[in-house]
Amino acid sequence: MSAALSVNPFLRLWSGYLRLVARRPALGQILPFVPLVALWAGVVEAGLFPRAFFPGPVDVVRSFVDLTWKGILPAYLEDSVVRLAVGAAAGILTGIPLGLLVGLNATAHRALWPILLFFQAIGDIAWLPLLIIWFGFGLETMTFVIVYTVLFPIVLNTVLGVRSIPLDMHRAAQSLGAPKWRIVAEVVIPGALPNIITGLRNGLGYGWRALIAAEMIVGTSGVGFMMFDARRAGSVVEILLGMIILGLLWYAVDALILAPLERATGRRWGLVAQ
Amino acid sequence: MKSLSIRNLSKTYFDPYAGKHVTAVQDVSIEVPEGEFVSIVGPSGCGKTTILNMVAGFLPVSGGEIVVDGRAVSGPGPDRGVVFQSHALFPWKTVLENVAFGPKMRGVGPKEREAIARDYLALAGLSHAADRYPNELSGGMQQRVGVVRALANEPAVLLMDEPFASVDAQTRMTLQEELTRIWQERRPTIIFITHDVPEAVFLANRVVVLSKGRVLEEVEIDLPRPRSWETLIEDERFKTLSSRVLQLVRSA
Repeated sequence: MSAALSVNPFLRLWSGYLRLVARRPALGQILPFVPLVALWAGVVEAGLFPRAFFPGPVDVVRSFVDLTWKGILPAYLEDSVVRLAVGAAAGILTGIPLGLLVGLNATAHRALWPILLFFQAIGDIAWLPLLIIWFGFGLETMTFVIVYTVLFPIVLNTVLGVRSIPLDMHRAAQSLGAPKWRIVAEVVIPGALPNIITGLRNGLGYGWRALIAAEMIVGTSGVGFMMFDARRAGSVVEILLGMIILGLLWYAVDALILAPLERATGRRWGLVAQ
Repeated sequence: MKSLSIRNLSKTYFDPYAGKHVTAVQDVSIEVPEGEFVSIVGPSGCGKTTILNMVAGFLPVSGGEIVVDGRAVSGPGPDRGVVFQSHALFPWKTVLENVAFGPKMRGVGPKEREAIARDYLALAGLSHAADRYPNELSGGMQQRVGVVRALANEPAVLLMDEPFASVDAQTRMTLQEELTRIWQERRPTIIFITHDVPEAVFLANRVVVLSKGRVLEEVEIDLPRPRSWETLIEDERFKTLSSRVLQLVRSA
């Protein structure tokens, strides 16, 4: 009997980690942050920078509790999330029908596609100077920016999805007796759905960033406003808190809305790689 | 199931790259009486798929006419069921929903169309796969579902466009045997397009050989049924008919 091949202790640790994460997938979402937060806390504790200039995790948590207690953070967070939700709803309700029209109708495609590409290129923030003159600092400006930002990825991806449905799929539906409107409902919309969800993912991601930027510049509330206001007061801890909340909120949107949608559609149907 | 007449059919189209009109199908006439199984063979580019697409109503005809069940064809319709080489199953519908799709479009109620779909799935030995999605099936099973989906809509004629070309050789033989069995049980009128000569002979009552967009010859296949590869592979009559058709195709 030869001696067992010695295993690198790091590999053993790694395989233990993989087994743990396989059993408890939620841990796999949290544990990678542990070294990052530890590193952050270590740098702060080493006292390389003044504490007010570079606060640690504990300071941020304290600030979180404080602002939540005062009710400022929940109110601002609600403002931002409601704006994103309203923008997303408006973007979905106009973007999907517009995408279906442009994807299905050759004339509409010819007429609208160049215009869509043109306006897509003019970034959300590029509209701000004009919007501030037209609507001033406030909700109208922010709503325009968010709807605008969500709309284009949804329209463009819906068009792509509609056009990527194989011709045989349309033919099969036709020769099974489906009239045009039923082909739209039974073939075109489900066939385009994986792309539509990709559009939604991109739109929400861009929209979230655009919203925070708009809140910084024209907002009077919201997470973006909170961060920019903290800059005025020189409160680095609140800026860091805002940044962390942005990341966490996106994590929640992904885990609770986008990922389940993707699992239930394209992946289930084998249209998207696992 | 009803009959199909293809009368003096032709198809010309403009080829923008060559800058001239091309004739893909020229003066083709084929009669398929009710309940008959006709195979159309020919080398690639002979126009066989073009003919099928015109019969299905996917392509407009340039000349002649196509009459199904006494009515001239204009556009796709549920009287002509199509089985595609790409199977063209709806990936977002289960096997059961795919098969029930035709009846659903006809306005058949949920309970009744499910019963129809289950009946046809049983016919092809697919009952166990009813609740699966097409991407969870093997290639052979996908094609079976494709055949059953077209049949469940009870079309006047069934149009099959090289449906077994992309499955492995063993599965293909099984599928061919199953198709002859289903044909004997339900007697649908079938046009079967293929470039595989033994397949055409094995399945059909009559093989139409196409060449350069025209009918070269029709060969009656008077082999007894039921047919199975185990017996036919050594059958002298099968060999004679196959080599006769093969010679025609190679001369085409």
